[in-house]
Amino acid sequence: MTVNKVITGLSMILRMLVRQKIVIILLLIIPAFFLTIVEFTTSDRMLPFQLASLNDDVFINISEKGISFIFFAVASSGFLVSFLALNLIQKNNTVNRRLIICGYHPIELLISILLALFLVVALIAIYVGILTNAFYTIDNLGRFILSLVLIGFVYGSYGLAIGSLVKAELEGILLIVLLVNIDVGWLQNPLFYAEAQNQIIIKFLPAYFPSQTAIITAVTDYSAVNAIGNGIVYGLGFLIFSMVIFFFKMRTK
Amino acid sequence: MIFKSEHIAKSFGKHKVLKDISFKLEAGTITGIVGENGSGKSVLMEIIVGIRNADKGTVNKNGRIGYCPQRAMLFPHLTVQEHFIYFSVAYGIDKEQSKRRSEELLHHFNYKKYLQEKIINLSGGTQQKLNLSISLLHKPDLLILDEPYNGFDWDTYQRFWDYTNHLKKRGCAVLIVTHLLSEKERLDHIYELENGIFV
Repeated sequence: MTVNKVITGLSMILRMLVRQKIVIILLLIIPAFFLTIVEFTTSDRMLPFQLASLNDDVFINISEKGISFIFFAVASSGFLVSFLALNLIQKNNTVNRRLIICGYHPIELLISILLALFLVVALIAIYVGILTNAFYTIDNLGRFILSLVLIGFVYGSYGLAIGSLVKAELEGILLIVLLVNIDVGWLQNPLFYAEAQNQIIIKFLPAYFPSQTAIITAVTDYSAVNAIGNGIVYGLGFLIFSMVIFFFKMRTK
Repeated sequence: MIFKSEHIAKSFGKHKVLKDISFKLEAGTITGIVGENGSGKSVLMEIIVGIRNADKGTVNKNGRIGYCPQRAMLFPHLTVQEHFIYFSVAYGIDKEQSKRRSEELLHHFNYKKYLQEKIINLSGGTQQKLNLSISLLHKPDLLILDEPYNGFDWDTYQRFWDYTNHLKKRGCAVLIVTHLLSEKERLDHIYELENGIFV
């Protein structure tokens, strides 16, 4: 593996991303749109609730508006990163194959994609974190941004796995929208979770640990190490799966 | 000998696309494979290049290989120049050589003015010129062309054959997939693919 190939790959992938206007518009508009909706549709009434990752005697007191901002920040980050990851790995599949025929190793290309994705995850987390803080003051902004990096990592890896597995763009987008909508957009809302009949299913979904981390880091001083660790393991599972599929699909025979 | 294949067979489900394909290519020759649409020409090319596995048979290649796919495989949001840079890195060509080779190909196929244009802004013919140029960038010993002149005007078509003959003189083995029997006189050897075998 040569560093030159990875750096050139990274540079070209970033150029392609920046030049796709729809990508930039999505990145800027979607989080702002979600959070604006929250601003106009939620109230300031206080909602005490327990968080699954913390002890039973810990009650979190936060307004409906506050928890909704945090929840939608996580949802928009997860959706955006997942969509971009799918785009990165699936859209130029045939040309990437040609690069491999011409001398790139699949792993060199994959590392370039992963580095580009990591940069995108970091940028989205910073942007969404700062934007959320503009609507609702987050106690620990730095930690909250790290929790958005975690949802980006988990859902980015999911996007890569779907992109490696599914050929057609529409099917890929559908699989992403479905899971993001059900998981991050619905079941991981702590208010829904508290009343859920079968909480064990929710705990096995990809956004569980990142969502828990986001709420712990945004409004409490409790440690989120366990949730972060479990989230990383979950994301790594998707990542390794996507790497294996990508490698076997793209290698020359 | 640059290339040799023996007893290649490939099926998709119950449909046997290639049954028993054996042939070889010598340096400094132009060989054509002709056949009707759906006769398995592109599948055979993909097996030779290494995109697909054959179910049976062997493929032996020597030297650098250049491959020009039937449809332009390019990045829509990168420029012509960026393609030359990206693929030069893939081939392991240094910057100086890459610049010299890309200049030469841009000049020969007459599309230097599009160097800074993104692919989405180019016509099909110009995209195909770049598609072909990429396969020539590293001076291949074996050049595999899958209907390479789709979208070319007459002038570019002539330039293509000039360049192919130049490669032949240099000792390159050229394999062209075509459905144009009118090109017979330009080819040293010709194989006709029908029902999965050469007839």
